[in-house]
Amino acid sequence: MANVELKKLKKVYGKDVLAIKEADVFIEDKEFVVLVGPSGCGKSTLLRMIAGLEEISGGDLYIDDARVNDVSPKDRDIAMVFQNYALYPHMTVFENMAFGLKLRKYPKAEITQRVEEAAKVLGLTPYLDRRPKEMSGGQRQRVAIGRALVRQPKVFLFDEPLSNLDAKLRVQMRIEIKRLHKQLQATMIYVTHDQIEAMTMGDKIVVLKDGIVQQVDSPMNLFNNPANKFVAGFIGSPSMNFLQGEIEKTEELEFVSGTVRFGIPNELNLHDKLSPYIGQPVTFGFRPEYLYDKAKEKSKQLSVDMDIIIDVTEPVGSEAYNYFHFKGQEDLTFCFRSDSAYDYQSNETITVGLDVARLRFFDVETENRIA
Amino acid sequence: MKQLKIQKILFYGLLLVMTLIYIGPFLFSLSISLNAEQDVFSWPIKLIPEKWTLGNYQRVWQDLPFGQWLFNSVFITLIQTVTNVFFASLAGFAFARLEFPGKKILFAILLGSLMIPGIILLVPKFIILNEFYLINTYAGLTLPGLVTVVNIFLMKQFFETIPKDLEEAALIDGCSYFRIFWQIFLPVSKPALAAVAIYTFQGSWNEFMWPVIVTTTREMFTLPVGMAFLKNEFSVQWPLLMAGTILISLPTLAIFLFFQKYFVQGVASAGLKE
Amino acid sequence: MKLSAKQKEQARTAYLFIGFPLLLFSVFTFVPILFAFFISFYDWNLLIPDKPFVGLANYVELFQDKVFLVAIKNTLVYTIGVVPIQTLLALVLAFIMNQKLKGRAFFRLAFYIPAVTSSVVTSIIFVWIYSKPGLLNYLLSLIGVEGTDYLTNPSTALFAIMALNIWTTSGYFMISFLAGLQSIPQSLYEAAKIDGANQWQQFWKITVPMVRPVTYFVVVLSLIGCFQVFDQIYVMSAGGPVNSTTTMSYFTYNNAFKFFRLGYGAASAVILALIIFGATWLQKKYFPADAY
Repeated sequence: MANVELKKLKKVYGKDVLAIKEADVFIEDKEFVVLVGPSGCGKSTLLRMIAGLEEISGGDLYIDDARVNDVSPKDRDIAMVFQNYALYPHMTVFENMAFGLKLRKYPKAEITQRVEEAAKVLGLTPYLDRRPKEMSGGQRQRVAIGRALVRQPKVFLFDEPLSNLDAKLRVQMRIEIKRLHKQLQATMIYVTHDQIEAMTMGDKIVVLKDGIVQQVDSPMNLFNNPANKFVAGFIGSPSMNFLQGEIEKTEELEFVSGTVRFGIPNELNLHDKLSPYIGQPVTFGFRPEYLYDKAKEKSKQLSVDMDIIIDVTEPVGSEAYNYFHFKGQEDLTFCFRSDSAYDYQSNETITVGLDVARLRFFDVETENRIA
Repeated sequence: MKQLKIQKILFYGLLLVMTLIYIGPFLFSLSISLNAEQDVFSWPIKLIPEKWTLGNYQRVWQDLPFGQWLFNSVFITLIQTVTNVFFASLAGFAFARLEFPGKKILFAILLGSLMIPGIILLVPKFIILNEFYLINTYAGLTLPGLVTVVNIFLMKQFFETIPKDLEEAALIDGCSYFRIFWQIFLPVSKPALAAVAIYTFQGSWNEFMWPVIVTTTREMFTLPVGMAFLKNEFSVQWPLLMAGTILISLPTLAIFLFFQKYFVQGVASAGLKE
Repeated sequence: MKLSAKQKEQARTAYLFIGFPLLLFSVFTFVPILFAFFISFYDWNLLIPDKPFVGLANYVELFQDKVFLVAIKNTLVYTIGVVPIQTLLALVLAFIMNQKLKGRAFFRLAFYIPAVTSSVVTSIIFVWIYSKPGLLNYLLSLIGVEGTDYLTNPSTALFAIMALNIWTTSGYFMISFLAGLQSIPQSLYEAAKIDGANQWQQFWKITVPMVRPVTYFVVVLSLIGCFQVFDQIYVMSAGGPVNSTTTMSYFTYNNAFKFFRLGYGAASAVILALIIFGATWLQKKYFPADAY
């Protein structure tokens, strides 16, 4: 039963090192929100401000509609899972989980019951008497989660909890945390630098860069309708391709960059949005996933066509990442995802299509999306 | 291959000679302390006594105020060890983990004081204690060494190695800073606490200059002062004196043997952090 | 600056934690440092209530006092003799202890024992070893050399005590070096071996430069210790014979606590402290601790 609201939240270190610039985010009750961005973007700082571990320099923070700027961490009714687990090394698993409850003077019976329940959920029952150093990384992370669970807090905070685990375990824990979220119906805020983690876990994602919130949206909206070039490039793997060029007006509007030239049909008000940029540079963005080989696949949608020259092909199982360039632009490399069965050869020239609805244009100066 | 073998024998031979140089004197004094003859200055000297006795050890207790000196030494050493562990970890925690106005300047002053040679403090410390009538008292012997700056540094450096996460997890779990210190940091700092305890014990037990200055009557002497006093007596009874020195050395030796690990760690970290 | 609740709690806790140690520090270190200079300008005698201000008279007298000048000389000889030998010996011992060898723990213990033993104990044992019918002369007689009574002979007393000091503390510093050696990556030695360096070259070209920070630390500690040598002098020779082993700290002790001339003693301690400062400053300037 808790929403979290950040109103113009600001963090300044020292006199003028701006770590977070006026973050406005509303997190609804029972929502799973992921804060994502490259290292140093301020995502952890933001989480730690919510936890009360960092002072808030400006703005307001509400948990459950109560302003908590000056409330100490222990009184915010939050629980946090740390990147390095932060388990108390001298305590057993049971004691680790029980510690917070003991400090809050819960009756012994209830503590035992809650810890045992959490242990059951997390598969830790056989390990309750062990100490952290006798456990594997994955088990430790479960204990850290268990410590948060038993508290039954209003809000769960996760600070890159999976980044110390190996790839396989990470996927497994990812699913497990998601399952817990469904089961507990609790508000969770989760920090990661891994956009795949963000995409797969979040109901809502907050993308940060240089202390500035870039976009707050659902995963699919971030992917398809990024607010700016940064979000477009950050979300999705492999990244979106960017090609700088110019909008020209002949009979219709055209995008031109060296040998690349295609007309822009007036779908989705593209002309309205792009006409202020006639004769001006724009960045054209297109995702590797949305290109398709004209000779091999058909699309029902209206599309634009481009001739590309394949450089290298990297098959990764059923699909392949094909790196290519446009004629006359050897130094710019782009990526195109295809069925690996197509088996392109180096220097092969093919024609690819891109649905008009997938065309993205960004302002060169502000990097905001035009269309 | 054969040359290598000779090299090896030579190496171990040399090592053995070195070892004899380092522990030989102790074996020698042990031998004298067990010698039944009182005239040990006969020539040529005998490395191994002809007649053995434990009588010298008995006489140490009977003929000397050894019991009193032992009590004094144990009393001072124990108090200083406990207070050093306690206060050094408190202050070390504050400097390592807490933010407070004046922290930087206070720390700089402490750091600077490490550069001050102890010799310059003797006269003023003596005058200050004299003003409070504490010369030749247990208080005078004990107070100046209740907590040392070096130990504060050792603890601070150790506490700084504990991940910040742990402190924050405890904050969120509901700990006050005092509880973080007491229930989280202290229990995980056993190696450092042991190092501080062992060093202080060693230092207090062997301390000589301060007790020499601050004690004026025999019954206030610590063991080292007492032994030095005996040595400077007119008729030195060597077997007796050697028995005393062996007895004094036992506690530190035992502690070193039992806690070797912490010793080495402590010296090592002190050596590398400078 | 306004403090938040969390900062206030931290500050409160911190002051509580450092309160007593700071009080103790003030009374027994901070105030005494300032007080020492103050006393040195007075003719401060414990037995005479009147303590007149004498300005620099104590200092002037010191530099006219033959015993003090001898004490300076002895202290310098002592330090310059002990520090380098002790440091090198400690490094060599550590180098040996760092090799794969059988019974390493035993050897390490043997070398370390003198360092953990009371200085009074080792001094007493060595008084006996150095005496005319003592162990050293016995061993020398086995190879046909006739020795002397080392501590009553003015030309050998100081050197005898220096040797004792080297013996006691080299084991202590060995442990410091050992830690330094263990942090040198094995791959460096392997690379040197492939480049064709023998053991000796490995020691001088890799070990010595790589442990330089430890060496710096060891030399500083050893300098400070040697300049203030007292226990051994007190027990073994009481400054004699004919002041040949009177060091500056023993001189200070004698004047302050035997003759009760506290002002005079304080002045000599101040000079010793200044010499120590100078020495460590020179070291820092010309042999800094730079690691690679």
